[in-house]
Amino acid sequence: MDCNELLNVAGYAGKILLESGAEVYRCEETMVKIAQSFDVDEVQAFVMTTGIMLSITHNQQNYTKILRIQKRGVDLHKIDSINELSRTIKAKQYKINDVMELLKQLDQEPRYSLFVTLFFSALSAFGFALFFQGSLFDAFCAFTVGFCIKITAVGMERNNVNAFFQNAVAAGVGAFITLLCVQLSVCDSMDTVMISGMMLLVPGLAITNAIRDTVAGDYVSGLSRGAEAFLTAIAIAVGIGAVLAVWMNVTGGI
Amino acid sequence: MWLIAVSGFTATVGFGVLFNIKGKKLYLAGIGGMLGGVIYSLCKMNECPEALSLFYAGVGFALYSEIFARICRTPVTTFIICALIPLVPGKGMYETMRYAVAGDAQTALQTGLDTLIYAGALALGIILVSTLMRFLCHHPKPSKTI
Repeated sequence: MDCNELLNVAGYAGKILLESGAEVYRCEETMVKIAQSFDVDEVQAFVMTTGIMLSITHNQQNYTKILRIQKRGVDLHKIDSINELSRTIKAKQYKINDVMELLKQLDQEPRYSLFVTLFFSALSAFGFALFFQGSLFDAFCAFTVGFCIKITAVGMERNNVNAFFQNAVAAGVGAFITLLCVQLSVCDSMDTVMISGMMLLVPGLAITNAIRDTVAGDYVSGLSRGAEAFLTAIAIAVGIGAVLAVWMNVTGGI
Repeated sequence: MWLIAVSGFTATVGFGVLFNIKGKKLYLAGIGGMLGGVIYSLCKMNECPEALSLFYAGVGFALYSEIFARICRTPVTTFIICALIPLVPGKGMYETMRYAVAGDAQTALQTGLDTLIYAGALALGIILVSTLMRFLCHHPKPSKTI
């Protein structure tokens, strides 16, 4: 058995997991499970939100790989599939190459298309407006606001703008559209529309992972996820706050 | 109540698509969000304090997620991340910011503190369930040594 090959496969699986937003302990466990399916003597994995260290000992030889993770997105489907794969390797007697092929296939599976994503984020904002007891007019305004927020966020993400700025600008655009709706008096409650739109930027993954990593004892990752969630909240507040302040200054009120 | 349920479901399914959940798990995640929303508004209707309602809702949807994750053999996060979102105290954060922009620092601090407590209560519910489930179902094998 080629341990270097195994290291690459396990590392690749870990990389996809971390980039898709898995918790740290899941990433470690999955890599160890994959390596152990091929009966090596010892595996150790150490993962943080920004990098992976993986080392295998076999026949008194040590092999180590370090991966740096730059991209961080959310793709729960990939986490689900890799989780499934790592459990079945031993039972289905895959070779190392087979696993690599499967991982590559998995990595290239398409997401929902841009249009579907935009539509569903707008629909989500629509749902939130009704959830927060807004009127139907509020809901339709929130639909528009959600659409604009998401299209801004996606556009900036594609141009590799950093996360803080991305959230602040998207929130600012959302606030501006809401104020326009209020000005044209199409919506009843400005607050409801604004909050429903902003819910799209809420860092649900960061909050959940901060909690789960802390519970699992990975305090470093838990804290850094918590900081990510907190910074995102601040970015949203800065974005809305700036637009509101400028609007009040220019028009003299809301 | 029906409106809360349907809108909670819609909002959560929308988020499920953003997070790229596929197949029937998408609807299951939506039901998780609906459950959280319904428990929360039921508690509010019975005059529970805000933080306690969030705690109950957190426990409710976390339990649902843990159970269905085991049935579908999928990571728990698939359901929890989506179901959590309708309950995030976005309103509190927004009001804090409004007061801060208006220059009312006292009220802003007060609202901010309340919001932190609400978020903490929600997190506490999830932590409780997650710890219980680890205690009951999770038996990590020690890694093989030479």
